[in-house]
Amino acid sequence: MEKIILIGFYLLNSSLSAQEVHTVENTLEKDCLSCHREQQIPSSLLYKRYLMTYSTKARMEEAMFDYLKDPKKENSIMPSQFFLKFPMKKRSLLDNATLHKDIQNYLKEFDIRKKLLIFNSQ
Amino acid sequence: MLHSERRSLIRFLVIYLTSTFLLFSIASWVYYTSSKHHLLDKQRELLKYEAQQIQSQLRILHRSEAKKLIYPKIKQVDSAIYDLDKHYIFGTYTPPISLEKRHDKKRLFHLVRIEPYYLGAAYLLVSRPIDFAPIEQLQKHILLFMALAGILFSILGYFLGKLFIEPMRNAMKQMNRFIQDTTHELNTPISTILANIEMIETFGKCKESRAELDRISIASRTLSRIYEDLTYLNLNHDYHRTVVSVNMCELIEERLNYFSAMIEAKKLEIDTDIHTDITLSIDRNDAIRLIDNLLSNAIKYNRIHGNLFLEITQNMFLLRDTGIGIAPKDLTTVLQRFKRANSSEGGFGIGLDIVDQIVRYYGFEFQMTSKENEGTEVIVIWKK
Repeated sequence: MEKIILIGFYLLNSSLSAQEVHTVENTLEKDCLSCHREQQIPSSLLYKRYLMTYSTKARMEEAMFDYLKDPKKENSIMPSQFFLKFPMKKRSLLDNATLHKDIQNYLKEFDIRKKLLIFNSQ
Repeated sequence: MLHSERRSLIRFLVIYLTSTFLLFSIASWVYYTSSKHHLLDKQRELLKYEAQQIQSQLRILHRSEAKKLIYPKIKQVDSAIYDLDKHYIFGTYTPPISLEKRHDKKRLFHLVRIEPYYLGAAYLLVSRPIDFAPIEQLQKHILLFMALAGILFSILGYFLGKLFIEPMRNAMKQMNRFIQDTTHELNTPISTILANIEMIETFGKCKESRAELDRISIASRTLSRIYEDLTYLNLNHDYHRTVVSVNMCELIEERLNYFSAMIEAKKLEIDTDIHTDITLSIDRNDAIRLIDNLLSNAIKYNRIHGNLFLEITQNMFLLRDTGIGIAPKDLTTVLQRFKRANSSEGGFGIGLDIVDQIVRYYGFEFQMTSKENEGTEVIVIWKK
């Protein structure tokens, strides 16, 4: 009987964790990526621009947050000519915590470490 | 070469070669350190070039759209990239703790600042194993140089040393020649005086001047002994010793008899404890010089009506006097040549030097104890 309860509790717990991950991904997808795709904004390229300019996760997160909260040419990662062709993004209406969470998930999603590997000829 | 000359030459060589060796060691060390740095710098130049190659590949990787990015790798070279806060991003090896390290015992490191930050990398640390072959070659060259310099400076030092001691050698030669000539010139008149005194004593002439005759006899024997000592010192370095079995009891009796006039003049009381048939393997002249010098000192520095105690056993010879004694500070130096603890009596300060030479030559042990104004005791131990 105890075993059944334990298994039941484990399954419930696993399903909740999976659901949480799914929720996180959904939030990033819903809040950011879906719109990026719709407007044909290449997210991975944006990540690389941030990476090339700010190097560390903390600096990237700070720069992204500043831009999303108050988008302008000065704090954008894109060159000023970009805005001759494309309009400036509207400021994010997400609360700070959610926005931070989304940015962190974005950085995790495109983390360069995941892509790097060493080729062993042997 | 005389013993003193050899000693001076050895001392000179030791000081000269040690200082030269130290000087060369310091110079070689400075040269080695600088050359090693130069060699490492040359290897580091190669590493810098390899770092540039990796850097350009990082730029290509950064622009790549591929799902998987293959990190650049060069044969024998390890590298790692770090973000702006010097946190490790990726690399081909376990990075060292300190990024500032230029090299450790086995590897060379080179840190490059990257800008813009391709793949987020603000720093690239490249490393390759140190090529020890040229360093070992350098070490071999330095060792060879040190060995050759050592040989050259040893030879040079030997000739320089000989050159430096040449004036001293000439002075000593001249002094020896002078002593030789003087002693030779002294020998004939002294022998004549002593022979004539003996003749007068034998034929009983001049009885009314007995005291004066005794004084002449004492003075002549003293002169004769000084002559013997000087000859001994002069010939010591090339003196051929004939070691025979010498009956020490008979010899001591004979020498006491020789000094009888001096003993009588000082009115000394003689106590002896002489065992019979004690023989010692020694050159007879050495034995005479040993006994004479000790006896002579014991008589010369004794007080009038003093006491002289002689003991000879299988193992040792002991002589105790009741003379002026020697100050404790002089006891350690009194064996040196020309050193005189007391100048109240005549002499050159060569007697105990001769004793010391004989004692050392035969491996005897010499002990001397003394109290000022009470007396001196000397012991020569020949068997342990």
